[in-house]
Amino acid sequence: MARFEPVLLRNVGVEGSRTLRVYESRGGYAAARKALTTMSPEEVTEITKKSGLRGRGGAGFPTGMKWSFLPKDRTITYLCVNFDESEPGTFNNRYLVDHDPHQLLEGILIAGYATRATTAYIYIRVEFHETFHILQRALDEAYAAGLFGRNIFGTDYSLECYIHRGAGAYVCGEETGLIESLEGKRGWPRIKPPFPAIEGAFRKPTVVNNVETLACLVHIIERGPEWFSSIGTPGSAGPKLYQVSGPVNRPGCFEAPLGLTCRELIFGDDFARGMAGGRKVKGVIPGGLSVGILTADELDCKLDFDDPKKYGLLGLGTAAAIVIGDDADIRHVLLNTCRFYAMESCGQCTQCREGTGWMYRIARRIAEGAGRSADLDLLVEQTFSMGMMPGLSICGLPDGAVYPIRTIIQKYRAEFERHIAQQASSRTVEVIKERVPSAYELPILGQRPAQVTWPTAASSGA
Amino acid sequence: MPKIIIDGVEIQCRDKIPVLQAALEAGLNVPHYCYHPGLSIVASCRLCLMEMKMPDPKTKEMVWSPKLVPSCQTLVKEGMEVRFNSPAVIANRDKVMEYYLVNHPLDCPVCDQAGECYLQDYSFQFGKPYARTVDPKVKNPKKDIGSRTLLYQDRCVLCSRCVRFAQEVAGSGELCIVNRGDRAEIDVFPGMPLENKLQGNVVDLCPVGALLDKDFLFRQRVWFLNGTDSICRACSTGCAIRVDQNRNILYRLKPRYNPGVNEWWICDEGRFGWKFVHDERRITTPVVRRGAATETPPWDDLPVIIRQHLTAVVQKHGPASVAVQLSPEMACEEAWLLATFIRSIAPEASLALGDVQIVGQEEKFPFGATDGDVKFIIRPEKNPNRRGVEAVINGLGGNVISREDLAARAGKGEFKALWIAGGYPQPGWAGKPLIDAAGKVELLIVQDLFPGPLTEAARIVLPFCAWVEREGTFMNHAGKLQPFDRAIDPPEGAVRDGQYLYALAGHTGLYTGRRVREMMAKTMPEFGQLHVPPPVPEHQH
Repeated sequence: MARFEPVLLRNVGVEGSRTLRVYESRGGYAAARKALTTMSPEEVTEITKKSGLRGRGGAGFPTGMKWSFLPKDRTITYLCVNFDESEPGTFNNRYLVDHDPHQLLEGILIAGYATRATTAYIYIRVEFHETFHILQRALDEAYAAGLFGRNIFGTDYSLECYIHRGAGAYVCGEETGLIESLEGKRGWPRIKPPFPAIEGAFRKPTVVNNVETLACLVHIIERGPEWFSSIGTPGSAGPKLYQVSGPVNRPGCFEAPLGLTCRELIFGDDFARGMAGGRKVKGVIPGGLSVGILTADELDCKLDFDDPKKYGLLGLGTAAAIVIGDDADIRHVLLNTCRFYAMESCGQCTQCREGTGWMYRIARRIAEGAGRSADLDLLVEQTFSMGMMPGLSICGLPDGAVYPIRTIIQKYRAEFERHIAQQASSRTVEVIKERVPSAYELPILGQRPAQVTWPTAASSGA
Repeated sequence: MPKIIIDGVEIQCRDKIPVLQAALEAGLNVPHYCYHPGLSIVASCRLCLMEMKMPDPKTKEMVWSPKLVPSCQTLVKEGMEVRFNSPAVIANRDKVMEYYLVNHPLDCPVCDQAGECYLQDYSFQFGKPYARTVDPKVKNPKKDIGSRTLLYQDRCVLCSRCVRFAQEVAGSGELCIVNRGDRAEIDVFPGMPLENKLQGNVVDLCPVGALLDKDFLFRQRVWFLNGTDSICRACSTGCAIRVDQNRNILYRLKPRYNPGVNEWWICDEGRFGWKFVHDERRITTPVVRRGAATETPPWDDLPVIIRQHLTAVVQKHGPASVAVQLSPEMACEEAWLLATFIRSIAPEASLALGDVQIVGQEEKFPFGATDGDVKFIIRPEKNPNRRGVEAVINGLGGNVISREDLAARAGKGEFKALWIAGGYPQPGWAGKPLIDAAGKVELLIVQDLFPGPLTEAARIVLPFCAWVEREGTFMNHAGKLQPFDRAIDPPEGAVRDGQYLYALAGHTGLYTGRRVREMMAKTMPEFGQLHVPPPVPEHQH
């Protein structure tokens, strides 16, 4: 395959790439000028639809279609830029903005024009302190150059842009959670309908787009929708920023056409260049934690919007691969996963609030060497009892929680069982007795476990 | 009136209501925590999920959608088909009930809510009979969040009803949720406790034992309580309430649903303003003074004694020498019985409406709401039946005077006999003109709750029972005639006002409000029509 010429990262490594002067000298803002001065908003939307651009935030919803849900007779429209990048392992948006903030701003101009947005809000994750200042400086520069504000490029289009810093909640990356948080409320995802396109921020039609999605727009306008759709695999068009973290030789953010295989991403010379220190791959979480895990045998999974689903994963996610070396204990992988969702569940829907916490405590006990086979069954059972896909919760956070937990247990069940077989036979009972005496030591129980009536208790080993 | 199909049965329901409400009104037991008809919808408890028929994207045929949808969030639509009895729905309930108990302390034996707790009920009806958790529970703290309210966060199911109530009905929004996941808690801001005049309602709204009433805390197990439908006496709004008592001791008042009057709420003034009922100082026996001597005649002799006294005055001074001050604390029936009795002896007796206590101004909730959005009003008129007594007086006609005239004319000696009905929960309610005037009449008969200057001066003192001991109707500010029932017996020695006035008026047998209302309605048709709130669906809470 011919080496792919990066577009999204074309300014990375260029001296002064954060400044407007350098960005413009390399052809920056030409696409926005082209869109605003020569096209109508409908044309921009059409081009976006035609390019096959799908949202880069994780769900992969077609961007042009999202825009077309806006009501026709609207006067105020808000564009929210989802820069609350908090999916574990993901750093493409930060990388992009750290090196090339104007690319995002140009994308905002184009998307804002296409949706006839009156105000754009960049919702930036609060932990990105430095990135915030980089972006703010770039925005100030753009304002000074007349790229934002009233009558941009001499047209009658006006767009105000504000950067809003979040308060550190994972759930605010969900679009309605983001909107609530933007409004100054607790970041609890809203019940849908109404969808944000009809009633979003401040009860007005709102579009929420990811940073990378907006960056792609610049190049779609510049090079045309045919160029964009010619890259990648059918149904997954365009370049994508892949990220690799973990014990690899060259962790980082790489640009490649969609459809790159996981193996190539880890071992390719243009990418992570193999495992560090002679380790072997134990597994890869290929798209940010929420999509689930691939085993070492499944590395040929193509990282596009559809192929991961064949491996029992949620989808592409953010294309951020977390590589797990063979020196890692799978119980700790499970524990880390469970802990993250237990910490970040917003607490609104019962299944997610109580379930993630319960799963975390089970995973913690397993990691301490006091697990039972029944715990694994229980964890898998729980992964089917929450999530938006079966309609059991308001947002997709629990979907994101159950896929990694389920796939880790299902795909590494043998390893878990091996650990359980190796631990001392009385260990589980001892640990439980010590922490929850009532589970065993109520007089009425006569040293039998409290769960005597649980149908599987006898076979649980406890 | 759309028709919808629930569990294969076609039902007709009201328009623009959630499916959950329609199902509850059809008598189905659909579990729910966060849904309350008086609050906004958050669909967060995920207990009321249902299956719904949707068009298949390919064939356009109506098929059961694989996704469950919250029935509280889905409005009814003509012809829609839903079900609550499918395996997926039942499995979800089972699972959610298990989740609710993961971090619940299971301290029902010491919990005030036990017996009327929807966590208990739903666990029993829909949950598992065993627990599968062997790991330590998250123990959220107990907090004192307001002057009248305690929060046991470990029992909370986070339905957020209380938060929405404080925000949407009380309008003061003191409550909020802090922290995430299973550490999420209901809380108040430091230094800003839950202090609004409707705060007692959050305790009623709480489906579990998380929010507790300090006044009721550990006082009684709810299964010993007997409820009686009544009407609040604290202001002229006339909220529907339930009086909970056990063995003649009152423990608490709870609101009843009464659309157009109090909806689902009552104010704290009404809720906690019943303590005078069990006050030790109350007058419990009739007293007749003859010179310096006092005696307590048996109740059976009292009609004759009162009749003799009044007849003597009328014979001596004429039929216009008697005046009656009726109290806005009296039921309409009692006021009518008293007034007709007096008129039967002294046909030209003057009738006056007693003191109406006005305190402060009308308070509308939520704070600052304009007329259409007002959800609750506390009225400044602190007596329940001003309008009803007025209606009785006006209906009877004849000599009707104001209470100021009554005091003035009695002071000038125009009235020789005066019957003053009190019954205000505050001892010492009487003003100076009335007390002065009362000292000058020949025959003073006083009915009151507590001893005071008037009862000191009276020839005959009669106990006035608290409204929970009586039976009758109050007419509220808007002219709605609402019945209240007796919840407890009067204190030892006392007889209900209605009963002795009934006997006084020459009737025999047992006094009932209805019997008297039938007599009243012959001349005053407004007393023929009662306002009774519609029944609440059995499984709604």
